[in-house]
Amino acid sequence: MTGFLAWLSRKRFQQRYLTYYLMLLPTITFFIIFNYIPMSGIYYAFTRFSYTGGLFGSPFVGLDNFKYLFKSGILLRITRNTVLYNIAFIFFSHLLQIIFAIMISRITGRLFKRLTQSMLLFPYFVSFVILRVLVYNLFNYEIGLVNATLAELGASPYDFYNKASFWPFIIVFFYLWKNVGYGTVIYLAAITGIDTELYESASIDGAGAVKQIFYITVPLLKPTFVTLFLFSLGSILKGQFELFYQLIGSNGNLFTLTDIIDTYVFRSLTFDFDIGRSAAAGVYQSIFGFLLIMSVNGIIKRKAPEYALF
Amino acid sequence: MKKNMSKALALSAAVLMMFGLFGCGPVSQSTAQSNQTTSSQSAATETQKAAETQVATGPDISERVDLQFMMIGDGAKDMDRIVGMVNEKIAPKINATIKWNYTTFTDAMQKYNLALSSGQNLDLIYTAPFLNYFSLSKSGAFHALDDLLPEYAPDLYEFVPEGYWKAVKVNGKIYTVPCTYKQYLVGGFIYRKDLQEKFNLPVPDSIENIEAYFLGVKQNMPEQLLTNEFPMAGIYQFNFSAIGVLDMYHDWANTAIYGLAARYSEPDKLFDYWASDEFVEEMKLMKRWADLGFWSRSALSSVEDMSAMQNGKTIGRLFGGTVNTVSEYNAATAEAHPDWKFDIALYSDNSGIVYPTHPIQDGIGIPIASKHPDRAVMFAQELLLDQEINQWTSYGIKGEHYDVDADGWYVPLQDPTVSGFSREGMLCWAWRNPDYMLFPKEDAYRIEMYEKFEKVAGVNYIGGFQEDYSAYQTERAALGTVVTQYLQPLHAGLVDDVEQAVATFLEQAKLAGLETIQQQYSQQWLDYIKSLQ
Repeated sequence: MTGFLAWLSRKRFQQRYLTYYLMLLPTITFFIIFNYIPMSGIYYAFTRFSYTGGLFGSPFVGLDNFKYLFKSGILLRITRNTVLYNIAFIFFSHLLQIIFAIMISRITGRLFKRLTQSMLLFPYFVSFVILRVLVYNLFNYEIGLVNATLAELGASPYDFYNKASFWPFIIVFFYLWKNVGYGTVIYLAAITGIDTELYESASIDGAGAVKQIFYITVPLLKPTFVTLFLFSLGSILKGQFELFYQLIGSNGNLFTLTDIIDTYVFRSLTFDFDIGRSAAAGVYQSIFGFLLIMSVNGIIKRKAPEYALF
Repeated sequence: MKKNMSKALALSAAVLMMFGLFGCGPVSQSTAQSNQTTSSQSAATETQKAAETQVATGPDISERVDLQFMMIGDGAKDMDRIVGMVNEKIAPKINATIKWNYTTFTDAMQKYNLALSSGQNLDLIYTAPFLNYFSLSKSGAFHALDDLLPEYAPDLYEFVPEGYWKAVKVNGKIYTVPCTYKQYLVGGFIYRKDLQEKFNLPVPDSIENIEAYFLGVKQNMPEQLLTNEFPMAGIYQFNFSAIGVLDMYHDWANTAIYGLAARYSEPDKLFDYWASDEFVEEMKLMKRWADLGFWSRSALSSVEDMSAMQNGKTIGRLFGGTVNTVSEYNAATAEAHPDWKFDIALYSDNSGIVYPTHPIQDGIGIPIASKHPDRAVMFAQELLLDQEINQWTSYGIKGEHYDVDADGWYVPLQDPTVSGFSREGMLCWAWRNPDYMLFPKEDAYRIEMYEKFEKVAGVNYIGGFQEDYSAYQTERAALGTVVTQYLQPLHAGLVDDVEQAVATFLEQAKLAGLETIQQQYSQQWLDYIKSLQ
């Protein structure tokens, strides 16, 4: 302790780093309280929770809580669904976000620019419960808009809520509808940060708008993209619970293509409120995400070290 | 000077850092400690109490305490005023105040579980089997009341019949104060009598007649939605509301959880309903009705709409309707639609099975986190036995919210949609005292029916059965998802081929470990039935 205080009061330290450390302090505190301390909750995954025992007083049961994940052989399917949905989410949302951000940055009319941005961002604030009602009224068999339109056109109605095949598209579409606007803002900020002199000299050299986009904007967005991409990889096993839960509900006829780890765990645990098993599922998701992000970051570090997260 | 400043800064930084790093350590430790103390306290209560009673004559109420009461659902508008009156009255008697906390109905179950598991400071809480009373009691979520009741609430202990105390025991201990109001939640098909008479359709008292009723209405009113049946998650034996109608056929003593049913006449003989021809035939009926359009083809993703039938959106309800519902609907629509007339065709008329709700149905428990279980029990006694407090918290203020007419009927004085305190506005299910209860005139029919039921009613077997699934919890969790995925579409009749769908379901259920579950469940059920005899 005295050593630590002595180190703190060393002149060189004070001159060079003290202010920085002070500025960092709130962040460190935040992470310790909200991210590191709760990690002790992992221990729940290995206990049979009892109300009197609490976290460390409950009996230890080893890997018992993980068993149900493997029991019905369903783990493979839900892991596959989760990963595939997330890949689709990540790929399409970044693609659209970059395209929209570039398009918006090229709009010169102030009013139109603001209007477009607001309209893109608006769906982000629509709650999932509202989204559920919206989707239900679009795809309902008897009274839905889609089937009513099909009937007008003379086609036979499609049984959306009993056939799973369309749902991956519907879900990805509504994910994008909700989230693209938000991500666009981040890319737009990155584009605004690009030095305008680059564009000026490019246009002097005779580069048109398309060339400017492909040779200046896109390459300079790469670091932003890689960072965001790595962040999203970490949560690849955690999939948008509200989206799936609200859109699909407990409709068993759609589960083959729409059941993800979160909804599966929620379903199997709403039968009995079981803290140990929910924690076990959370631990599985976190470990998978951790391994994935470590390996992808490792690859990036080897190929293009300047983009790696750490 | 400058040096001093930075020294001070550095020091404060260090101090702050320490807080950041270890700030939560002591707190969590102290909670752990207090947890420990409560558990050791409850263990030591017996010895302590023995000592206390020797010293003091009455319970020690010198310290003033604030009690918290958690209910699920929504409270009433004028509740604060009424609670204020209650507090005024109880203060001299038990030196405590009470505060009710309501969760709203959305995600009530999660909120309830979290409130108990997070160790939130609560002194009283609503208990019910659907809120996992048995398993929560077993895992120690509530204070045992066996010693507290006779000492701190002797009148209440006396008031509730001994059979009730016996019936709510879990592992030999009492964890809830059961409500003694006897109800008959006998299910039936709710229909519109006015339409049935107008279109000259048969009274829908059998499968054929229900079908005729639906088809007849549909023919005469092609735009009319028939039902709003919906999926039910989290229940093993019951996944789509429409199968409520099968109660007509089922003369069962239990609910065929895990497919195991027992006839009421011989409760000690379980049979595998899911593997029976009976099951396949009944699922074919559901498919026929689904194909006839009695409920939406998108029903599996729809949500429950409690007011659909009251609003005239639908004209039939296959599940969850009781004679209470009929009274309720008729009362609610009397003004706006005097020509509407709701009625019920009881399933029990076909099955012949009627039994009252089990004592466990509604109750008041004391969460383990409560620091004043003694005072909480004392309050429970006041709430149930003090006529004024009981009626305030059930019906509001006499002369303002309601009145009692010459025949003793409850008369609301405010429009129920805007009333500051509608009848049972605080959701007083847990503290209904049959002696103080008031009913509106529309309830005459229900009361008459209850009297009829009372004459034919038998034993409620299923209500008191405490399943202990800790030995097959893994299989149970796995079966739960199989049931939602494969049994639910069958129940809703939304499958292409019933026989094939049944085969797939049984195959998946077997993979999930159905046999293990059935074996263990059978054993427990048979032991339980034996214990009753």
